[in-house]
Amino acid sequence: MAHAYTPGLKVSSKIRLQKRRILPLKGEVTVKVGDMVESETVVARTELPGKVTPVNAANILGVPATDLMNYVLKKEGEMLKKGESYALAKSFFGLFKTTLRAPDECMLESVSNITGKILLRSKPLPVEVKAYIEGKIIEVIPREGVVVESWAAFAQGIFGIGGETNGILKMVCNAPDEPLTPEKISAEDAGHVLVGGSIVTAAALKKAIEHNVKAIVVGGFDDQDLRNFLGYDLGVAITGSEDKGITLMVTEGFGPIPMAYRTFELMQKHQGQKACVNGATQIRAGVIRPEVVIPMRESELSEELHVEAGSLKPGTPIRIIREPYFGMLGKVTELPSALLKLESETKARVLKVQFDSNNEIATVPRANVEILET
Amino acid sequence: MCKTIRLLLGLVAGVVLCSLSAVCAMEPAVISMDYSVTPRILKSKPVAKVDDVSSDGIIAVKITWDPLDAEILPYIENILIYRSAISDDDFKLIGTLKAESTEYIDASDTEARIDPAAGPVRSNWVYYYKIGVLTREGFIFLFSAEDYIIPQPVWFDIEKIAPFIATLIFFILVIGFIQVARRRGADLYVRPIAGMNEIDNAIGRATEMGRPILYVLGLGSPEDIATIASYTILARVAKKTAEFRTDLIVPCNEPIVMTIAQETVRNAYLEAGHPDAYSDDMVFFVTSMQFAYVAAVNGLMLRERTATNCYFGKFYAESLLLSETGNIAGSIQVAGTDEVAQLPFFVTTCDYTLIGEELYAASAYLGRDPLLLGALKAQDYAKAITMVLIYLATIALSVNIAGITIFVKGLIDYL
Amino acid sequence: MNKKPEDIKVIIATDCGSTTTKAILIQYDEEKGEYRQTHRGEAPTTVEAPFEDVTKGVLNSVQELAELSGRELLDEDNRIIKERTENRGADIYISTSSAGGGLQMMVAGVVRSMTAESAERAALGAGAIVMDVIASNDHRLPHEQIERIRQLRPDMILLSGGIDGGTLSHVVELAELISAADPKPRLGIGYKLPIIYAGNKDARENVSGTLEEKVDLVIVDNLRPVLERENLGPARDKIHDMFMEHVMQQAPGYKTLMSWTDAPIMPTPGAVGAIIERVAKLNDIEVVGVDIGGATTDVFSVFKDPEDEKPVFNRTVSANLGMSYSISNVLAEASLPNISRWIPFPIDERKLRNQIKNKMIRPTTIPQTLESLVIEQAIAREALRLAFIQHKAFATTLKGVQKQRTIADAFDQSGTEGTIVNMMNLNLLVGSGGVLSHAPRRNQSAMMMMDAFRPEGITRLAVDSIFMMPHLGVLSEVHSQAATEVFLKDCLIFLGTCVAPVGQIKQGKDVMKYSINFPTGTEEGMLKQGEMKLFKLGVGEEAEAVFEPQGKADLGEGKGSKVETIVHGGVVGIILDGRGRPLMTVPDDKDARIEQMLGWLENLGVYNMEELRALGKA
Repeated sequence: MAHAYTPGLKVSSKIRLQKRRILPLKGEVTVKVGDMVESETVVARTELPGKVTPVNAANILGVPATDLMNYVLKKEGEMLKKGESYALAKSFFGLFKTTLRAPDECMLESVSNITGKILLRSKPLPVEVKAYIEGKIIEVIPREGVVVESWAAFAQGIFGIGGETNGILKMVCNAPDEPLTPEKISAEDAGHVLVGGSIVTAAALKKAIEHNVKAIVVGGFDDQDLRNFLGYDLGVAITGSEDKGITLMVTEGFGPIPMAYRTFELMQKHQGQKACVNGATQIRAGVIRPEVVIPMRESELSEELHVEAGSLKPGTPIRIIREPYFGMLGKVTELPSALLKLESETKARVLKVQFDSNNEIATVPRANVEILET
Repeated sequence: MCKTIRLLLGLVAGVVLCSLSAVCAMEPAVISMDYSVTPRILKSKPVAKVDDVSSDGIIAVKITWDPLDAEILPYIENILIYRSAISDDDFKLIGTLKAESTEYIDASDTEARIDPAAGPVRSNWVYYYKIGVLTREGFIFLFSAEDYIIPQPVWFDIEKIAPFIATLIFFILVIGFIQVARRRGADLYVRPIAGMNEIDNAIGRATEMGRPILYVLGLGSPEDIATIASYTILARVAKKTAEFRTDLIVPCNEPIVMTIAQETVRNAYLEAGHPDAYSDDMVFFVTSMQFAYVAAVNGLMLRERTATNCYFGKFYAESLLLSETGNIAGSIQVAGTDEVAQLPFFVTTCDYTLIGEELYAASAYLGRDPLLLGALKAQDYAKAITMVLIYLATIALSVNIAGITIFVKGLIDYL
Repeated sequence: MNKKPEDIKVIIATDCGSTTTKAILIQYDEEKGEYRQTHRGEAPTTVEAPFEDVTKGVLNSVQELAELSGRELLDEDNRIIKERTENRGADIYISTSSAGGGLQMMVAGVVRSMTAESAERAALGAGAIVMDVIASNDHRLPHEQIERIRQLRPDMILLSGGIDGGTLSHVVELAELISAADPKPRLGIGYKLPIIYAGNKDARENVSGTLEEKVDLVIVDNLRPVLERENLGPARDKIHDMFMEHVMQQAPGYKTLMSWTDAPIMPTPGAVGAIIERVAKLNDIEVVGVDIGGATTDVFSVFKDPEDEKPVFNRTVSANLGMSYSISNVLAEASLPNISRWIPFPIDERKLRNQIKNKMIRPTTIPQTLESLVIEQAIAREALRLAFIQHKAFATTLKGVQKQRTIADAFDQSGTEGTIVNMMNLNLLVGSGGVLSHAPRRNQSAMMMMDAFRPEGITRLAVDSIFMMPHLGVLSEVHSQAATEVFLKDCLIFLGTCVAPVGQIKQGKDVMKYSINFPTGTEEGMLKQGEMKLFKLGVGEEAEAVFEPQGKADLGEGKGSKVETIVHGGVVGIILDGRGRPLMTVPDDKDARIEQMLGWLENLGVYNMEELRALGKA
């Protein structure tokens, strides 16, 4: 097969974006097709089943497990109020009574005459799903969720921390290769999504959290800082559920790497607009990348852009994603078909690339580049 | 090969040293009468000093003096020690010594006194001492000690400083190891005891089989060390049965043992977070008669078909009766006792046996409590130090250290 | 399948992985009278959108086979031709699958180290990924266990517990837990979760009473009928059946694929296990196989039980040790010093950490520079080492077994905790997975395996050339002879033999006298502690050898005992490893360590030494 697998990150100035907003369990959808929704609008809700508490009833009552049924006062499935008794055993002609009372509002789930246990299920927990992006509901999946559609400027990152959030986009660095340092953050940035350059330092991140910054979008991040930030060494790239008070999106990778110019430019263009950021990342089959979505009103639209999935051919803009040219941008000049021996003596299919920065030409394995998608 | 040569060389050297020292220690026996010795004695006037060497419970005065000239020694018969309670010259003879001696200890617990009127030395009295030099001709030359002395009782027995240091070392070891155990936690190495490791598996086995576990505390009284160690193991076993939710049967031979065992098991269930699973019927009293007890427990084993039997504590003739029945019933059995005579029976009939002191160590091993673990480690080190000292002492005695000292002295003199 | 084994001459086998579908063609060579793998084809797997039909990828890969072999394999309707003629069609078609994340299971048992462990062994042996083990004594509260079952959403649950006639209440309690959790399968909403019950036969009625309404319950023989014996076969087979009937049915295109195959589709790791088990049994050898992937590392072993000398198969999956998705987890678990000890040049910690994380977020990249390659291989050593430690801890003798004692055992009472992995008895070590199979130099694969597994005594090393083991595993169920022949001749690339005496000996002292009769002449000499030597001996070649371990060194026959044997060659050759076992003697000083390591690497021709030394100076 002549197909080269070239993973790419999507960076687009205008895209029709559809987001599925699905409940973890079946529930109720609160909007209908055609509704316009805001980020915070609740589109679906459900209730997670409550915790189950087993009670060693037979032993507490002092009766054999097989006879337990005779001492239970309620039926299976019945709701219990707090303090309500649901099992009673009498001894010595009713002189001594042992009563089991519900510790909280709950349901009598089951009674077992083998283990002698009674299972109590506490109240269900409500779960809500919000729209996340502003837009229109185009589809309702009955009892499961909705699809929200919006025109938006869109940028994917390579790696992120933290869940969904939104705020006003603000540039704090003037160039893609400028590091985001603490002095660039002030109290005014509260509630904003800050866009930095090549790297965010640990101190800057700390200051951002102190000042209630919603999210940071930056080119690179140091692994040592990540470890200190999370408090543990991240083993596999599955994130999104961290609760650190900020969402971080890294666009390029680990270490100081200038943010791709295209991404930087896009952010610059939309400065001052509302942006939705999600740091959730899953690098596995069914990949999930962190993203910045800047929804647009209908009035801002002029024409629909044609989006095309890229393939490698001479002239394709690419980025190198592994040492020794890590992070450099360039254009494909040649695609030799024969396998070539690399410095590491690995035989691989390669391509020749001309770098944008210095016009030099280098040979890199095809696996180590990504197409810059538009 | 190398070792053997070294050993042989050592032996040869030892023998040579010993014989040489013996030769050097021999002195020429030249005794001739000379009446001009008196002025020489007077001239060499031995200056005596007195010191209070009282120690814990014993009042003692040590009198020391310079040795007499070697030349005049042959003319001296004895050295006599006199004591007076006050300075009234009522000196009483309290000791006779050889001519070459240089010290005498007058202690309150010394029985033999030449003049019975002297009595034992007492604290807070004022004493004067004199040394008499008795020549072969029968003259006595008296020399007063420089000063009087008032012996005082003291707290410590200086003589027992060695045990004291040993205690101190042990003490430091215990404290030290407890600290290490606290810091390193479970990392502190204790030789694994297979029997203890297997207890979890044995309880697991009972759980899978859906049969109870039998725990026998032995015939000991509650204050026996073996029984006390057994409580700790029982606590652990009970905690596990609580976790596994398996039935536990503890038949007791002594009412008091039963009460403690009940408390132990209840606490263990509470600790495991299953207080509801505990009932007082688990631990019960059977009988205090040895063989009636055996009959009852054996019956239990066969009726309840216990999957696991534990025997920890003091056992006598019943050990084999119990464990053999268990073995035939197909139970996993773990035993531990400090009764050496019963060990062989347990070893042959049980799956795992804790031998002697392992029983005591087991509680520390199981609990992993820094206090117990530290003490266990310290005990082991103290034992090791004792072993090394015994070894060194044996060597020292075998090669005659005293002889070597004399030999070296002689050598130095010669040089 | 109703063909006789002797009539089977042409075999097509595919393995549908999560990214690529690999097909191989096996043909019977009439002249030589043996089965050989002749061609292979590859195509992207088509389970996910936009295709959502696994058969497309299968057909693409088979089409490539047909093009390469010149044999017509697909008919006009795009179906595999099953009537064989001279150069058209195949006799049988078989397949394995790990697409969609493989078979993800949860197991439950009463005691963690007994029935729960047996259940885990059964599930792992069937090729599943065990997401969690629920046991009565796992120190979790019931509501936590319920929460866990609900959260993980396994494809299948294996419930066991109690020996036959054993505990009832514990097993029923587990069933109640599962019932309370009311778990939903991971794939597909419309069907009930399959649960296999393989526990106490007396509890069957109660268990089905508790579970029947909520799940799809199947009952098989107890996997631990007595504590002294495991009976994993029925449970394992049932897992395969349920995998086919339920899980596979939910994956797009599998229904069609199942109708094509002549043997049930097996989960890929299960098939790898099957071929390793078969080869070990046929040749009466002890084998360790390892497959290091991007996300997980599987270790398979067949060792003889020290008690009854019966071969025991074990498989473990280290779900978070791998070379791309999980690479960062290797760093987290092994710690940095352990990784950097394999790197023969100084490297900045920050840079190394960032490089590793970048590989994690860009898993498909390949090392271009020598530096990256050395780092990646250092990480592979640690991943393999950790996976093997986990394997050793799992591959143990059965626990809870009654022992018979005599008075002689008084001071020698061993527990039952012992692992059955005895490296001295190991005959063959097989590596597979990108980092081992596709290392630029085979010497690198050999070195990685020796460093990570530390084979003792005399051990043959091999790698799986093109990851053919899954195909052969499923073939072994149908045609054992063809599978084993191809396994030894085409699948394995023999690297050579590692000769490593055991013992802690002072650096620089004599360890072993050797005398090897090579076809080119006899090599004699003395191996010193801390030394490695390599002698060329080609694939298929053999040489008589006499090894005399010195002093405390042991080569399997006891301390200082002479060993006369025949050593087998390979693409690397005969490696004498005098680094000491089980601990390698490595100097504490960093520079001395690097110098010693460079020495080893140079003797074994592992890397381009000039460039490697240049890295150290830069």
